[in-house]
Amino acid sequence: MKLNRHLSLASALLALILTVSPSPAQAKDITLLNVSYDPTRELYTEFNAAFARHWKEKTGDTVNINQSHGGSGKQARSVIDGLQADVVTLALAYDVEALHEKGRLIPKDWQRRLPDNSAPYTSTIVFLVRKGNPKGIKDWDDLVRPGVSIVTPNPKTSGGARWNYLAAWAYAKRKFNGDEVQIKDFIARLFKNVPVLDTGARGATTTFVQRGIGDVFISWENEAFLALKEYGADKFEIVAPSLSILAEPPVTWVDRVVKKRGTETLAKAYLEYLYTPEGQEIAGRHFYRPRLPEVAARYKDRFVDIPMVTIDEEFGGWSKAQPLHFGDGGVFDQVFKP
Amino acid sequence: MKLDRWLLTGILGSQIISAASLAAEDADTIDALKRQIQDLDQKVRVLERKQELERETATEKAKSAPSVSLGANGFSVRSADSNFVFKVRGYIQGDGRFYADEEAANDTFLIRRARPIFEGTVYEKFDFRLMLDFASGINSSAVNNGILQDAYLNARFLPEFQVQIGKFKEPVGLERLQSGANLLFIERGYPTQLVPNRDVGVQLQGDLLAGLLRYEAGVFNGVADGGSGDVDASDDEKDLAGRLFARPFKNSDTDALRELGLGVAGTWGKQDGSGMLGKYKSPGQQQFFSYRSGAGTAAAPNVVADGDHWRISPQFYYYLGSFGLFGEYVISDQSVRRDAGTSSSAWVENTAWQVSASYVLTGEENSWKGFTPKRAFNPAEGGWGAWEIAARVGQLEVDDAAFPLFADPATSASAASSWGVGLNWYLNKSVKFNFDYEQTDFDGGTSGLLEEGEHVFLTRAQISF
Repeated sequence: MKLNRHLSLASALLALILTVSPSPAQAKDITLLNVSYDPTRELYTEFNAAFARHWKEKTGDTVNINQSHGGSGKQARSVIDGLQADVVTLALAYDVEALHEKGRLIPKDWQRRLPDNSAPYTSTIVFLVRKGNPKGIKDWDDLVRPGVSIVTPNPKTSGGARWNYLAAWAYAKRKFNGDEVQIKDFIARLFKNVPVLDTGARGATTTFVQRGIGDVFISWENEAFLALKEYGADKFEIVAPSLSILAEPPVTWVDRVVKKRGTETLAKAYLEYLYTPEGQEIAGRHFYRPRLPEVAARYKDRFVDIPMVTIDEEFGGWSKAQPLHFGDGGVFDQVFKP
Repeated sequence: MKLDRWLLTGILGSQIISAASLAAEDADTIDALKRQIQDLDQKVRVLERKQELERETATEKAKSAPSVSLGANGFSVRSADSNFVFKVRGYIQGDGRFYADEEAANDTFLIRRARPIFEGTVYEKFDFRLMLDFASGINSSAVNNGILQDAYLNARFLPEFQVQIGKFKEPVGLERLQSGANLLFIERGYPTQLVPNRDVGVQLQGDLLAGLLRYEAGVFNGVADGGSGDVDASDDEKDLAGRLFARPFKNSDTDALRELGLGVAGTWGKQDGSGMLGKYKSPGQQQFFSYRSGAGTAAAPNVVADGDHWRISPQFYYYLGSFGLFGEYVISDQSVRRDAGTSSSAWVENTAWQVSASYVLTGEENSWKGFTPKRAFNPAEGGWGAWEIAARVGQLEVDDAAFPLFADPATSASAASSWGVGLNWYLNKSVKFNFDYEQTDFDGGTSGLLEEGEHVFLTRAQISF
């Protein structure tokens, strides 16, 4: 049989092919996608560059981080629908929780994987008014006056808008001693003064700042400071209400995606870097309230000490607040009549 | 005088009072107008912003809407996230065969291939393909048949690990694996006749080392040389088939080597029965070799496959600019048995090789997967499509052990040697004309064809979409 002779020939050819096939270069150009909410564009532009430098120094690898921004709820839905996010940095825990509940993309205990309930920085809700505060807006009461035009995004799509709504609710709850009818009426009057509902916080900033619509913009604190920085303190001013809410935008890596893409270590390191003094300093520079005490101390004078409620204490957490207020047929649907 | 003064004072005073009240009235009016203007300005701004947001919403919706396209690559519908794709493609080939020899087959026109293709992707990772063929049979005298050519699912779990199940081409012959719509010559060369065509089975496949090395390994029913099959009707045994193909310089900066591909493929299996023996044809599709086929008596011996059958095929291609070259060599070694009252067996080792070269005269970049003309045919605008010349040599040799017991030396040749030249005109990406001349000499045999050889002029008009 001539099989052996030919098998030898085949082996030689196979060896030749494998010999001339060079190993792939130790290419370590890694790409990461951070799917975030609307106002974090500037924060993550600087943070990504800093982390890329840090990672290069530490490992020699080049990491390119792509950013995607939009309304927080909308972003979460995109990830559930297949957007390959290695990490998400969203406006509120409910939107991240949806990745577990609706997509099984992350484990149930995702919030315990990083310090501070996976929220490396905080913010709150303030009012941005036009210079001189021509409508004399000082507190939530002033927003429901007839003739006051308010800009806020749609709570159905924007995480920031949900914080706005809940802060107003907390204020009304105290004002009306928990009378739900009066609280709902207060919220209804507030949204009656909203002429345009944007889908996200950045769009609402555009509406108020660039398009010149409205007397007051209910805004993330960081977004209000950014408007002052970008468009001039001679055009706008910030008003701190008597009560607001502690906003804790959470972050996590998307297990299903990072395991598939082999980016788990990198994604974890990326988010952990947010907690380092360097990461916290960048957050502070972009008007987020840092968690790290020594960094927070440096920015203490910038932020007004506003009394704040928390989502857990005031509303029983997002798992209760979301369906009650923002679910289909929820309180917002009942009171908002466009 | 005093009266006049008082009167004057009175008149002036009343006029001043009246003017002051008029001024106050004007200021109020102006303020009211200002407020109205401001209100109107806000309303206009709000309306404009709402329109802007509506446009943004419409743009977002458009992004999530499925896209439909129709073009040179057929008709396709694609979901917004590209996870679901459905395509309708196909190609038709109308051939002409003109023989110079009286002893040869009749000159004829025929539909060589008429193949609708339905393919797509579901849930991002699962590809499917269904290809039918309604063309003439394998020669000019066969009737048209509807044939299921491809029907398979490919699960792309990872680029390195994919599982393909169904009916498709076994991963062996280089030219066989090239699409019928992209062939350089009208008919494939001799090596294709010694390797399997389409078969039913399961195949693992993938790209390793950043696409530098492709592997394919599968289990199939097993088919005769050059044959296709749908069910294993002859035995319980299965064939193993595999192929490694490397493009070692695919990702390098060296242009001269980037389109070099080297590979080796093979099959091994046990096959039984007369349906597992090959019949070999010339470039003009005239049969020049077959095993004896009779009743199994001394007067009419019958030859069948009888056990082991293995094949091995080293292969390569190389492209640089407009130039292209490919070649392959195949050994098909098969155990056969002759039944003629008594039985006798032998190993028959048949071999075939081919080298083909091409050059695109109009300067397009040549490639294994074909090319698109730089300028489609449109004489009014000076477009004449793309022109390509081609040449090839090849040979198929039948083992001496086949004669005379297993094949009739009068009707079967022991070797066929061919050379051919071709001219291909690509009017555009979809329409192509081929013109080939092929000349073949045979060793052995006493029929007119085998003694005279074959001189055939082949033509093809092809439309693909």
